[in-house]
This record gives sequence, C-alpha cells and structure tokens, in this order.
Amino acid sequence: MNRLETYEQVVGHQEITRLRYLAQGLRGARVVHVNSTRTGGGVAEILSWMVPLMRELGIDAHWEVITGPPDFYRVTKAIHNNLQGLPVPLKDEDLQLHRDVNRDNAEKLALEADIVIVHDPQPIFLPEFTPKNRVKRWVWRCHVDASRPTRRVWKHLESAINRYDAAIFHMAAFTRPLPCPMFLIPPSIDPLSDKNCPLPEDERIETLRRLNVDPDRPLLLQVSRFDRFKDPIGVIQAYRLVKPYYPDLQLCLAGGPADDDPEGPEVLREVMEHAGSDRDLIVLMLPPNSHREINALQRSATIVLQKSLREGFGLTVTEALWKGKPVIGGACGGITLQVHDYHTGFLVYSPEGAAYRIRYLLRYAEKRQRMGRTGHEFVREHFLLTRHLRDYMIMLMCVTQKDKARIPTPFAA
Amino acid sequence: MADNRVEPFEVKDCSLARFAVGRSCSSLRELLDAIRTVPEAVIEHHMMRCALEDHFELYEFPNDFARWCWGPLGEHVLGERLALIDPYRHRDIAGLRTELANVVEDHLWHLDRVPYCRPGLELHLVGSRLVSYDTGERITTPVALAEAIPRLSRRSLFYHVHEAWRRSGRSDDFSAWLEKHPGHEQLAQRIRSIDFHFLNLSQLRRELIEVFREYLPEKGVVPPA
Repeated sequence: MNRLETYEQVVGHQEITRLRYLAQGLRGARVVHVNSTRTGGGVAEILSWMVPLMRELGIDAHWEVITGPPDFYRVTKAIHNNLQGLPVPLKDEDLQLHRDVNRDNAEKLALEADIVIVHDPQPIFLPEFTPKNRVKRWVWRCHVDASRPTRRVWKHLESAINRYDAAIFHMAAFTRPLPCPMFLIPPSIDPLSDKNCPLPEDERIETLRRLNVDPDRPLLLQVSRFDRFKDPIGVIQAYRLVKPYYPDLQLCLAGGPADDDPEGPEVLREVMEHAGSDRDLIVLMLPPNSHREINALQRSATIVLQKSLREGFGLTVTEALWKGKPVIGGACGGITLQVHDYHTGFLVYSPEGAAYRIRYLLRYAEKRQRMGRTGHEFVREHFLLTRHLRDYMIMLMCVTQKDKARIPTPFAA
Repeated sequence: MADNRVEPFEVKDCSLARFAVGRSCSSLRELLDAIRTVPEAVIEHHMMRCALEDHFELYEFPNDFARWCWGPLGEHVLGERLALIDPYRHRDIAGLRTELANVVEDHLWHLDRVPYCRPGLELHLVGSRLVSYDTGERITTPVALAEAIPRLSRRSLFYHVHEAWRRSGRSDDFSAWLEKHPGHEQLAQRIRSIDFHFLNLSQLRRELIEVFREYLPEKGVVPPA
C-alpha cells in the first residue's frame, strides 16, 4: 500500500481521487522546495510529508536546504522577529551576510525547476543570484504574520520579494500589498505521522512516567518552542491562578531546540527561573525527533494551551484538536482560524483570561469532550495534509497557467 | 430504472484558489470604496463563495459583508440590509456590486460619523478562483441521486447548487436533471424552490435529504439526515 492509499483510510476515497485528478495537470513538473532546516519547526515537518506525496502523485518534487555559518542563523532569526514586528537590532553587515549566504547557496543548490518554492525569509534572495534560465517560476511561502514588519527589515526583503511570481500566506491578515498574486493556504498536519497517529495505551502511560508526568492527574499542556512570542511565562501565571482551586493540577511546558533558533536556551532559562521548585510544573526540552513523546503528552492533556502573543499558524493547536482536546489559545494569527469560542475551545487575551477558561473547562467535563469531538471533525475537514496538498496543486496550476492574470495582484486591482 | 434518453448526472467537485488583494477595511467608507473598486472575484468570494468556508452553524447572516457590518462595525441596520441581498438574483457581478454600493452608500449618507472597527477586527479582502473537476461518478436514476446526496462532498453540493445558480441564473443542477425524467417534475420543482440563501452546506444537505425522502418514500432509499 502506498502512502496515499494509507491516507485514504483517514480522509476518504473522494479526497484522494480529487488529488489524483488535480495531479494529472502537473505530472512531471519539477518543483523544488527550499528552506533553512531539515529538523525542528513546522516548515520542516510539512516538507517531510509534502515532498514524498507530491512525488507519489507524479510531480518531480525535491527539497533543498540552505546552509550558512552560525552567525547566519542569528541574523535570520533576527530578521524573522523583525518580520513579525519585534524590533531586534541588525547591522548593515548582518543584512549583507544574509545576501552573501544566499549567493553562495544559489551556486550550490540544485535549483533547476519549473517552480521553486522558497520558504520564509532565510533563502529569500535566491532568485537574485540564480541564473534566469534555471528556474521558470519563483514562489515565496511566508509562514509568519508579515503584516506589520519593522520598516528596515521590510525594505531589506522587499527588493527580494519583487522578483517572485507569486507569494503564499496562511491568511489574508498576514499579508502586505505585493506586486504579485498572494495565495492563501493554511498549513496542515499529517494524521499518520508519529506525532499524530493513534498510540497504544501502554506506550502512552509509559511515556508519561518516563517524562515525570502523573497519568492519573489533570494535565495542562503547552507544546511550543521556548520563544517569547509563545508566552510561556503567561502560561505559568495562568496555571498558578488555577492551582489553588485544583491542587492536583499539573502543567507541562514541552519544547525542543531548532537549528535556526539561537534564542531558545535564553528563553528556557527564564522559564526555569519562573518555574522554581514546583514539582507539578514540568518543563521539558525534548530532542527534535520526540514526536511520539509529544503525541503521548497531547493525548494525555486535559486541556491544551497555546497562549501565543504572535503566531504563524499554530500547528500545535491543530495537533491538539485532532486528538480531541479543547484548546485555550491566544487570540492571534492562525489560532483564530482554529479556536472558535464554545465550539473548539476559547480565545484569550491575558493570563487571567486563560486561567478563567481553564477553570471553566476543568469544571465541565462534558463540554470538554464535546469540544474535543467538534475539533477533531473540524481538523479533518480543513487542516489535514490532503487539503494542504490540494491547495498547493491548485496554486501550482494557477502559477504555471498562462492566464495567471486572472488572479489579481494588489497593483493590478 | 435508468431512462436511456437522459444523459447521466455527472458529479463534479470544486476547490478554491483563494488569494489576498492586499486591502482591508476598517471603516464603512473604506468598505464602500472597496465594493466599488475591488476585482469581481472579491465581491463573488465575500457574497457567495464564503459559503464554502462555513463549518459551524455560527453565522446569522449569509455573506461576509453583512457579518462584518453587524459584528465588528456594530451597524446592525446595515448588516440586516446586506444580509437580505440575494447575489443569485443578479445576472452578473456588476449588478450585484451596484446594489451593494447603493445600500452601503445610502446607509452612510444618513450617518453623522463614519463607523470604524477596533484594530484587529478589520475586514481583510479575499478573492477566489473556482477550479471544478469531474469526479468520474455518474448517476443514472433519480433514486441513485437520492442515495448519493448523503455522501457527496460539501464542495460538490456547492458546485451543483450555488455555483449552478451562478452559471445558469435559473436552476440548480439537481432539479435541472431531475425534470428531464418523466414523473419527477414536482420533485425537481421542490428542490429548485429550496431557499439555500439561509442554509450552510450541512443544512442544505439535510434539506435535500428531506425533500428526497418526501418524494421517494420507498423504505431505505434515503438514509437518515
């Protein structure tokens, strides 16, 4: 059985038929994805299933990764933060390093393709340094909220973006006027991956014990990188506001390192300081491949939190909903597409708001279960990888077609 | 029994390529300006294709403009007036655009100040391109169509009802096909008269199932809604 047939058991025959039909128009097209890491973070996870599935559908898909010195990742992390509106100082030589590493990679990477999809700002200058005849179409995939970037970084990136034939954003609120069509494609999860597949009960229990989580007591969980935008300190504050009412309550903050995130250790230190000596507050720095551990934690949670202050899409929310958990999420970014008050969880705006909703859901078990069921079906319909793949194929068809002018650009509108 | 004189019903499916146009509205004046100037695909998306994106039975109103005016803008009267506009009664988007602009301008005309929404609650304008395709499924009898309704995708329902009205201006695909079968004219008429303007796609499916159950009452033909 190939991978698509396996997914058919989850998403149904119609969805797979739809994919095969759409793929006919793209058979043999060479599509290259480029990002900055093979492990850690949502982009690498998406590419690890998308590329093989595209190949299975007859698309000649490949995945290239740009590399650079350690300083490059510090600079691109700062650019990433600035793109999301958090001012982080950058020197002129930092921006020059960004361009130089892109120039070096343009020579090294196998970029000959009908379409190259560049993910996030790290490899964004590749079109400038790639000979024109090697790539027919360039598409920039932005995975973060780029609606309010700092001016300096936007000016730095704008010259690169102008060379693209199309851009993709998660949602309209994340966009800025660009001189190319801006497709809207929310990301997705893989229901059969180690992180999302059903787990044997004994494995789940054994994993919890190994991670020092009590399987018999209520558990709050936030899974995310140790990043200030994820507000781990706010989560601890919310937990402490609820703890007097539910003394059995546990909080687990689980994250992992990513190759392209040098700020993680510093934020982790801050979290550990706030956690203090509370034995019911478990902070886990898990290795990048701890997918089954994350799976076990999410399946064991009573309530999942994602109290972000800024968020790209929030795939951890999708994962939790898929596992039938109500989610209390910060009202930002893609979380607002997934968390709908009283249907799949609650949107909150403060640690106090999170604490209030935690108490509410701990009080009403039946409401938790009903929200969990609703969330699972909501994800099946909108946020599984098959929908994501379908959106990509439709985008590829639109970009390669000669009448692409039918997708208006802001400046043509 | 299949009527050999009638072509089988071809089940189609569709998907949307959604795109941003880089504009958002935070005031009623900006909405009026947008309605007058955005590409037709944006009007079409916010007035018709938004039905494809409704998952929960959350919404009182059937289009994005009415929802935004009622909610973030707090203009309840205008929300009600926009909700009543039936986009499928217009032969083209130009006519729909004119009616929308008239309603919004008339409302704005009588206000002392221009209403604004709070930051973060802007209406982000989106357009879409509909890509339709043949599923390969063929239905040869009205009974087989009745049996198929519960399992057709929501997108197929949208294509054969909403999009069919948009294409033809006079009918959905189901009733257009059914009326070619002698003895099923009443069933066709009943389906055509479903006021889908007020239904999301799950509700539409339930309504279709009820109509088929009423007209084809043979036991077991149509499973429960």
